[in-house]
Amino acid sequence: MKQKAVQFLGFWLFFLAVGCVEEQNFDQADDIAVIPEMEAAMLLLETPEEVINGEPGLTFLSETFDFLAFQEQFVAENILDGSLIYQLENTTSKPLRLSIEFLNDAGTVLDSETFTMDPAPTAILNREVVYGPAGKPLDILTSTVALRISGTNLGDTSSISGEPEPKFVLRSTAKFRIQLQ
Amino acid sequence: MKALISGCLAWCIGISFSLAQNRPLLYDFTEIPQSLMVNPGAQSGLQWYAGVPLLSGIGVQGGSSGVTVQDIFADDGLDINDKIRQRAVYGMDPRDEFTGTSQIELLSGGFRGRNHPENFYSFGIYNETDAITYWLGDLAVLAWDGNADQLGRRFDLSHLKTQGQMLNVFHFGINRQINDRLTLGARGKIYSGIFDVRSARNEGYFVTVEGEDNLLANTLDSDMRLQSSGVEALRRKLQEDGADQTAVIQNHILSRGFFGGDLGLGVDLGFTYQLNERLLLTGSLLDLGFMVHSTDVRNFSLDGQATSEGVQIILPDALEDPDQNFWQDFIDEIEALIPFEEDAKTYLAFRPTRLYASIRYNTGGTARPAAPCYCDYRSGKSARNQPYRDAFGAQLFMINRPRGPRAALTAFYQRRFGDILALKATYTVDKFSLTRVGLGMNLQAGPVEFYLLADNLLAYANLADAHFASLQFGLNILSWGRN
Repeated sequence: MKQKAVQFLGFWLFFLAVGCVEEQNFDQADDIAVIPEMEAAMLLLETPEEVINGEPGLTFLSETFDFLAFQEQFVAENILDGSLIYQLENTTSKPLRLSIEFLNDAGTVLDSETFTMDPAPTAILNREVVYGPAGKPLDILTSTVALRISGTNLGDTSSISGEPEPKFVLRSTAKFRIQLQ
Repeated sequence: MKALISGCLAWCIGISFSLAQNRPLLYDFTEIPQSLMVNPGAQSGLQWYAGVPLLSGIGVQGGSSGVTVQDIFADDGLDINDKIRQRAVYGMDPRDEFTGTSQIELLSGGFRGRNHPENFYSFGIYNETDAITYWLGDLAVLAWDGNADQLGRRFDLSHLKTQGQMLNVFHFGINRQINDRLTLGARGKIYSGIFDVRSARNEGYFVTVEGEDNLLANTLDSDMRLQSSGVEALRRKLQEDGADQTAVIQNHILSRGFFGGDLGLGVDLGFTYQLNERLLLTGSLLDLGFMVHSTDVRNFSLDGQATSEGVQIILPDALEDPDQNFWQDFIDEIEALIPFEEDAKTYLAFRPTRLYASIRYNTGGTARPAAPCYCDYRSGKSARNQPYRDAFGAQLFMINRPRGPRAALTAFYQRRFGDILALKATYTVDKFSLTRVGLGMNLQAGPVEFYLLADNLLAYANLADAHFASLQFGLNILSWGRN
């Protein structure tokens, strides 16, 4: 019986010893690319027509404010490409021009987007600005610490649109791919 | 973020290859003294035993109900990102889990009472590491694909459920044969926590929808918590210049594992009831206890709800304050609605309680005499001399986990070969595998006893493709009689 037990133990240990693992290629881990595409609302600007009419100098808006969305270290280091999507709607009675300037920490203008809208009735203006290898340099965004927005009335300051609640609206989103791994 | 992802990957892989909670092979394998650890009320004819320190009980077990290492890392020429996308990100669901447990007995022994020979006392210290993480589900999709072009999809934050701990357990148990039919057992435990990390009660969602004013609105509704103890001090020590990482970890484990960290109390209960001379019913409830995490605690929470449509400049109100900082106002508003907070509050955590039950029919040999019980301590005979040769039956195992109880059903066959060898074969069905066959062996040569238990043998053909693997072994010095 002892001999049988020893034989069985030998078989058992042999069985465990030959337990094997098919060859794996763990070098593939280097090729893992986790690149989600994230999308978020960015900026909303809304101006009723009476505000525009209330500026006799025709510049109804001129604001410079911090904008650090792309300055956060992780985003700045890992953003690959993407786009800013703008949508403008003008239901006022006058043509308008809106300018968005991207400023670095020295106050230098890195880039700008200008939109000109006819008076109502007019179609909604959609524009997508691509950044990355297929578009403008990403450095523009990653170096931007502030936006300067300027709105100019290209018409008069007395007319009133027949549209209900006439106003000028800028809507925008940011859509970017970020490399997590 | 890379560190986070690497950590998550290491966590999953690490726990998959570390160890075991269900021990169908050890349960009611009464020839092995450590069977008292899974049923303190097991029938035992032992007079005494002494485990060889550090070698009396070593068990490792790991399981994945979803992907295997082979699924991802096989050298098959396929793009690894496609494999991850198809087999993990979109191939697993949040109930899939990676789990692992390891247990190492540092000290183990037992003896029969001199004045109350119906009592068998056992004691010891073991180290246990237990970890479980559920597949991240929506969070994995969010990390892999992002939220772009997924309007209206709610990414469920409750899919984050993970917990892991390492602790030393100091225990003392009493096994008492009440009468010829009934044996009861109880084991008191003091837990000495080394580290604990848990984030298991998360709620909320992240969703992107069309905005009321802007093109999009992003909403985060979060009630998330991460609790930890025994981690921060270790992290700081590891980051010290010139730190010997191995020594730091060893010192950390030793200092906290012997009452220098968190403390807890627990109890194991068990019984064996002899329905007739051949039929037995057994059951046990293990780790009915809790830990109080009060040392080196660091907790994080993200609790609140916020919807963002971006930085908003609404005229004419926006022009009223020429110094208004739209960006900072935007950030402050979000942070006020969903504060990310940190504290060091003590927290209570319950142990992963386990339940075993079995029914067993003994065959072969001669039927048990009317009295005394065949394995009676009074017989002073080896359990190997028990009058049956074979036994078969079924076992049930359940454990409470963050997503609710997990169960396993086992059929077993046990056979004794003379005084030297006893074998037990099991077939277990659980969420990890439907083809889980295990084999256990207990070998005794004189007072030296060695056991080896390996589960899911079919997986040994290619461990990389295994959903579950388990191995336990140990070495004891023991006496069934009065040697």
